[in-house]
Order: sequence, then C-alpha cells, then structure tokens
Amino acid sequence: MNHAIRADKFLLDADRTTWHDETLWFVREKRDRAVYAVPEFQELRELASQIKDHTLSRLDNYLMEFEAAAQANGVHVHWAADATEHNAIILDIIRQQGATRIVKSKSMLTEECHLNPYLIKHGIEVVDTDLGERIIQFRGEAPSHIVLPAIHLKKEDVGDTFHRHLGTEKGESDPQRLTEAARQHLRAKFLAGQVAISGVNFAVAETGAVVVCTNEGNADLGVNLAQVHIACMGIEKLIPRLTDLGVFTRLLARSATGQPVTTYTSHFTKPAEGREMHIVIVDNGRTQQLGRPDFRASLKCIRCGACMNTCPVYRRSGGHSYDFTVPGPIGAILSPNIDMKKHASLPFASTLCGSCTDVCPVKIDIHTQLYKWRQVLGEASEIPASKKWSMKFMGRLLASPRIFGMSGQFARKALRLLPHGLTHSSAFNAWAVARELPEPPKQSFRDWYQQQPQSIEQPQHPKVPV
Amino acid sequence: MSNSRERILAAAKANKPVEISLPTVPVYGGDATVERFTTVLTSIGGQVVWLDGLGQLPEVLQQLFPDAKITASLLFQGTLPVDARTPTDILAEVDLAVLPGEIGVAENGAIWLPETNMLHRALPTITQHLALVLDHRRILATMHQAYAQLPSTGAYGKFVAGPSKTADIEQSLVIGAHGARSLVVLLY
Repeated sequence: MNHAIRADKFLLDADRTTWHDETLWFVREKRDRAVYAVPEFQELRELASQIKDHTLSRLDNYLMEFEAAAQANGVHVHWAADATEHNAIILDIIRQQGATRIVKSKSMLTEECHLNPYLIKHGIEVVDTDLGERIIQFRGEAPSHIVLPAIHLKKEDVGDTFHRHLGTEKGESDPQRLTEAARQHLRAKFLAGQVAISGVNFAVAETGAVVVCTNEGNADLGVNLAQVHIACMGIEKLIPRLTDLGVFTRLLARSATGQPVTTYTSHFTKPAEGREMHIVIVDNGRTQQLGRPDFRASLKCIRCGACMNTCPVYRRSGGHSYDFTVPGPIGAILSPNIDMKKHASLPFASTLCGSCTDVCPVKIDIHTQLYKWRQVLGEASEIPASKKWSMKFMGRLLASPRIFGMSGQFARKALRLLPHGLTHSSAFNAWAVARELPEPPKQSFRDWYQQQPQSIEQPQHPKVPV
Repeated sequence: MSNSRERILAAAKANKPVEISLPTVPVYGGDATVERFTTVLTSIGGQVVWLDGLGQLPEVLQQLFPDAKITASLLFQGTLPVDARTPTDILAEVDLAVLPGEIGVAENGAIWLPETNMLHRALPTITQHLALVLDHRRILATMHQAYAQLPSTGAYGKFVAGPSKTADIEQSLVIGAHGARSLVVLLY
C-alpha cells in the first residue's frame, strides 16, 4: 500500500482533514511569530547547521569523547547496532533490577525500535507518560506527528478513549478536565515507576550530559522518581560543547510550536546518589545514511516537526499515511534509507515546493533530497511501471518542440470532442479526481505569436565592443 | 555489545565526510530588562511578583498561596523538611516548593535551577506549585549568555520556563500537565 492510498483513507472525512490542515498551519504561524521576534534567527540556523555538519564530520571522535565523559560521570554506556540489540539491552537492564513497572517519556527512537511491544511481550508494564503518547497508547495507535503525537484526534475521540480506560464521564470532552484525569492517572504511575526510559534531545560530548526537553515535565518526574534512568539516543544527537546548547535551545521550541523555549530543558549528567543511569547509543541505519553523501544531511535533524506543520501534503494526508515512525518531509528522506522498497512512495508525497527546507532550523535541504531520492528510486526500479513509463514518455514529449506542438494541438481538439466522463475518468486521469480540467484555449501561444505582425520592434541589443 | 561499539565507530569513521570546521558561536545579547523577562514569563503562563527584600518572603507566600498546607523550601522553614532521601509518597504531598533560581533569561522567561537548589531532584516537578526566588540582577538577555555564565550543569540541572503545560488535546493549551500547576517567580 502506498502513501496515496493511505492518504485517501484520511481524506474520507473532509471536515477533519480541513481541521487538521488549519490546526497545523496555525502552529506554523505561531512558529513564524516566534522566529521573527529573534533578529539573529537566520544566523542561528546557519550556526546550527554548521555545528551539526562539523559533528557529523567527526562523529566517531565525538562518540568516544561523549562515552568517556559519561563513564567518568558514573553513567553506564551501551552500544546498539540495531533495534533488536537496543531492545535486548533495555530488557536486560530492567531484568537486572527485577523491575516490571516502566514509565517512559517521549522518544521517537524507541518508537522506531518498537520497544513497547517488545517489553510488553516480556511481561513488563510500559506506560507512555507524555499526554499525547498516552492517548495513542490507549488506542493502540502510532504517533501521527513527532511533536504532537495525537494531532489526528479530536477532543471527542480523546473523551471516548478516557471514558473507556480512565472512567471519565461519558461525553466528557473538555481538554482541561481530560488533562486533569490523565494527570491523576499518570501520577500514580510515576510514583510506582521502577525504571524510567527517556529520549534524548541533545547529547553534549564535552560533558557527557543528555538534555531532554519537555513541556509537561513528564521526563523529569519519571526519571527523578525511579531507581534507574535509561536514556536512548541515536548517534546523531551529539553536539560538541555545552555552549552549543545556546544555539539549539533557541531554535528547537520556536521551530516546533512557536514557544520561546520548552518549559523544562533538563540536563542529566550524573545519576543521583544510590541510583543508576544508563545511556544506550543506537545506530540502526544511521551510519549507513552517513555514508550517502546526498542524504547524510538528514542526520542533522533535531526533530522539531516544523517541516510537517508547513507541508501542504502532510497537513492534508495525516501522519499515519506515511506509515513510518517519522512522518512528513523529513520522514520521507529518512525512511528509504531504512527500507527502500517499503517506503518507495514517500519521496513522491511532496509538491517539492521547498517550504520544509525554508523552515528547517538546521537547514537540511529536504526538498532537494526528496528529489534525489526519486532519482535513486527510479534507478532502482522501485517506482510503479505506470509512473516510470509515463515519466519517460513525458520526458520525450517535453524535450521535442515539434512533438510538444503536435500534442498540444491534439489535446485541444480531443478535450473539446471527447465526453467529460472520459477526459475526467479516474481510470486514466488521476489529476482530475478532484479537479476540473481547464477550458482548452482556441489556439496555443505559439500559434498566436506567429500570427502577430512581424514589424514589432525587436529590443535593441546594446553594442558590445569586440 | 562491545563488538557493536567497534562496528558503529568504524562505520562512522569510514562513512563520515571530510572534516568541516566548528563555528565560533557569538554570545548574542539583547534586552535583559526585568520588563522583558516579566512580559515573556507572563505570556507563557508564569507570574512575576516583586519582593522588597527576602525578609518579605513568608508574608508574600502566605498571600499568594493561602491554602498551601505542606511546604518545602531552601529559603525558609517549610512544614516539610526535604532532602535527597525523602520517600516518594511523602514528596507527592507537597503543595508548594520555594527554591532559589540562579539565572533568569529574558528572551524566554527561563530560570536555571541546579540540583543543589532543589532539595530533591523530583521536588520542582512533583510539587503542586513552584515558586522560584531570583535576584533581578541575575537576569540575562539570551540562552547564550546563560550557558556562558554557568560554571557547569552539575550532576543535574534544568531551565524551568513557566508552569507544566500541554496542548496534546486538539492543541488546546492546558496549564498543569504532570509537573507544577503554577510557577511564580519572586524577584528581589
């Protein structure tokens, strides 16, 4: 199943699609207001881009520096080549504690590794503590956005879910009261949590600290109440210096939600007295992406979600239509690296308008990479035959002025003579599924131009001395 | 596992691009006024109250939080003595924590709170309400200036900007997610 087919399902509910589109655009507008208030914002984007480029160019060195610093802080550092190893390491730490109750704050990496189902299968209770993530965990769904995991749901949906799982009153859909119910429910989970798992926003090579940014405070609450903290990070989360956080904390929340900063920017460096801290460093395809010169810049991503909020395709197709942990434009350039066949349609889920690139806080050339993935997929024959041959045909047609002229003439006639049902048939013309073809003009521009009197003055070329 | 470490490092080394230099980041400054700090913190759901000296603290807190029964503080005699060994279920009863902040940031209303000022690492988020006391001369303009001034981030420390909040249900802002339901900054 490809992106377009999954998007069709989302589009069945027109009102909800419009709501989704407008709500995410509203977030984009908030982002703009926050960004314009910082005079040096464009310089910060450039600096962030350069810092990330530099870090990737010395990634092995920084990984070793970070590991040494973290170990000196009394932190256990683990390395996982892939999702399987990541999950096994975490289960092992949990078992060593004899723990069964896990609280987890947001981590796209653990989603990517499918950690929750793995732990649950082994008899461990895993509670997602971010409100949006808890909602979708109850519903057995995947997040549809990396910052706003439940943005595909309406408050009535959340009300139904909470009525079923938390016993809130039937029909209750007030966000304030639903959030309060979740607060009470999760507080009990926090107090009982034995091991806390968190993601990592930034890992500072110089100090060995991991920085976690949340608005709800769930990472701090979970980690600081549990006996053991496990922080999971991809190798690309590194930044060299503590002061680099000045750049990234100024960019992240403004780009994500239009806030000046997240409520909590927490620096976990050493475990508390008598407690344990573990960091799991994960590759899972990232070094492979590092080896692709055209696509390695995708590893600079700081997971703000700005490219999703601005993307006209994401806003009108929903995160689930991408069927990948990270949806939207950035997901469409990360996913083919993981499984080219499965995600072959994602680089085509774009108009190549470039809005994603314009808002990216670390200046990833997202739309250029989308275009380049299309070439790679074409070469690898991972695009449907209909698309491949129609593109080849169009390429020939558009390259020849003579054939182009003839085709235009033919099309203008055909559109006038053929019945509407045929020219707009969804079997032949996917473009016309929700659109009307324009009224064909009587003549082409070329025909018109040739009919003009030849006496029209040609512009004088300035004389160039020879 | 050590095998994976070697494999990852070798792959990173083999696949990385030619070295690109690390830029020098200017310490951008800007408006570091109490007014700016107050405007921004208020806009993100926090509250700023002026103290005429630290001696006024208990009286002002009494006015702001008349219903707070269990209080914990590093600055005055609260009703509950808290330290790193205080059991979780006792911490969960705290109504109000009053802690000293170290640095304020005018551009985003954040306050640096190191572990040494927290009594217990979980206290600033588990308390129902949080009051941070800050010397107004410690307000800086930007995050760059704040990080430049921090001697280190210690074993644990965080910037706190406003009360805990969420907009995960239909993008409706709700103050009081899992952490403190309110944040008051007491400036002196």
